[in-house]
Amino acid sequence: MHTSTIADTAQPRLARGVRLQTDSVTGNSVLLFPEGVLELNETAQEILARCDGQTVSEIIQALGEGYDVDPEILATDVRETLAGLQRRKLIELT
Amino acid sequence: MMAPRPYALLAEITYRCPLRCPYCSNPMQARNDGELSTTEWTRVIREAAALGVLQIGFSGGEPLVRRDLAELVRAAREANLYTNLITSGIGLDDNCVRALRDAGLDSVQLSFQSNDTDLADEIAGARAHQRKLDAAAKIRRAGIPLSLNFVIHRRNIDRLAQMIELAEMLEAERIELANVQFYGWAFLNRAALLPTREQVDRARETATAAKARLAGKIDIFYVLPDYYEARPKPCLNGWGQRYLTVNPVGEVLPCPTASSAIPDLRFENVRARALDWIWRESESFNQFRGTEWMPEPCQSCPQKEIDFGGCRCQAALLSGNAANTDPVCELSPNRAGVDAVLRDLNSASHHLPAWTYRTNPKELLVGHLP
Repeated sequence: MHTSTIADTAQPRLARGVRLQTDSVTGNSVLLFPEGVLELNETAQEILARCDGQTVSEIIQALGEGYDVDPEILATDVRETLAGLQRRKLIELT
Repeated sequence: MMAPRPYALLAEITYRCPLRCPYCSNPMQARNDGELSTTEWTRVIREAAALGVLQIGFSGGEPLVRRDLAELVRAAREANLYTNLITSGIGLDDNCVRALRDAGLDSVQLSFQSNDTDLADEIAGARAHQRKLDAAAKIRRAGIPLSLNFVIHRRNIDRLAQMIELAEMLEAERIELANVQFYGWAFLNRAALLPTREQVDRARETATAAKARLAGKIDIFYVLPDYYEARPKPCLNGWGQRYLTVNPVGEVLPCPTASSAIPDLRFENVRARALDWIWRESESFNQFRGTEWMPEPCQSCPQKEIDFGGCRCQAALLSGNAANTDPVCELSPNRAGVDAVLRDLNSASHHLPAWTYRTNPKELLVGHLP
């Protein structure tokens, strides 16, 4: 799926059977799913913590407040991360 | 070398199973001097979580034959582990599904032998297929994520497309299409199970096309038939790196097939030692950890941290020495043996033998299956 097809109003949520939790060894967040563990980088952690009903544009806005980066680069980053997670069936867009 | 942290524990809680699949990876001579108790498994689960394990797979044998399964799932959830049940589905009634869901079970991997009843039951050596379909519906109704696991071999590989359709029909989230790997009973039955080159080529195309068609809908995991590959699989992501297995009698194994494939390796038991010590310090986990143990051609190979020299069990079974390069590697001095097997199998005169069904060790037979 091309990243531009994710609508601003889409609400990403964790897919069924996927758990987000803190790894007690590293203190970082990990995604757990059947036969898999994904160790998350900082951006992915920030995005996934907001996959609770917030829209894509709300997530982008919230992240923009915490980071001093070009808003367009940030928006592309968020969309690419979400598209990658969706391809792997780790999130669903509603 | 320093031990890394493990990510996943395979808990083989019993060798008992109502099915007789001729490719079972359980040891042919299973030890039967007492399965671990509920209390012992609970301790193992807590020790694994403390070591860093994040995922647990309850497997066997058929894990549902143990009446304390829901209790063990609950203990794993309390230790913050992601819980997978790897099952034939035989014995999964409504009460059982409810108990497992209430215990917090995260995911079920349900094995199927084929998409059609006659062939599936012939492979399982039992009337199982309809019961598996019923089990899939129960799992769906309970809202537990479902994976279908197929072991692929000569007799069912031509039905790959139909097996994928079955997974779609049952609304599975994931399908594992695993070409049979030759350990345990599968090694004994290799001549009956190994597909032809033509079959393998067609299956690869089918799997690739289905993967593209179902992207974002069903996750398709295709395990290659390694005899037909030029380079070995990165077995376990390296010995003693990410995975550990505890078998029904408490032995801790770097790989579930190691106890039968590498008989000269001494395995520690959770009844005598702490899991942490076994993972970090034991001879069995350190024997092939890292790259120092590697012989040539692995030692100077640029792939050595990609495929880790392949599979130790396969090296032992095919070359007689677990420390050799995996003989499926085209650079292995033992590759000729694998090629001879393939040549014989793909020749016009090849006679397809009957397989030998798996048997439960007598002492493990249960009088009454759920």
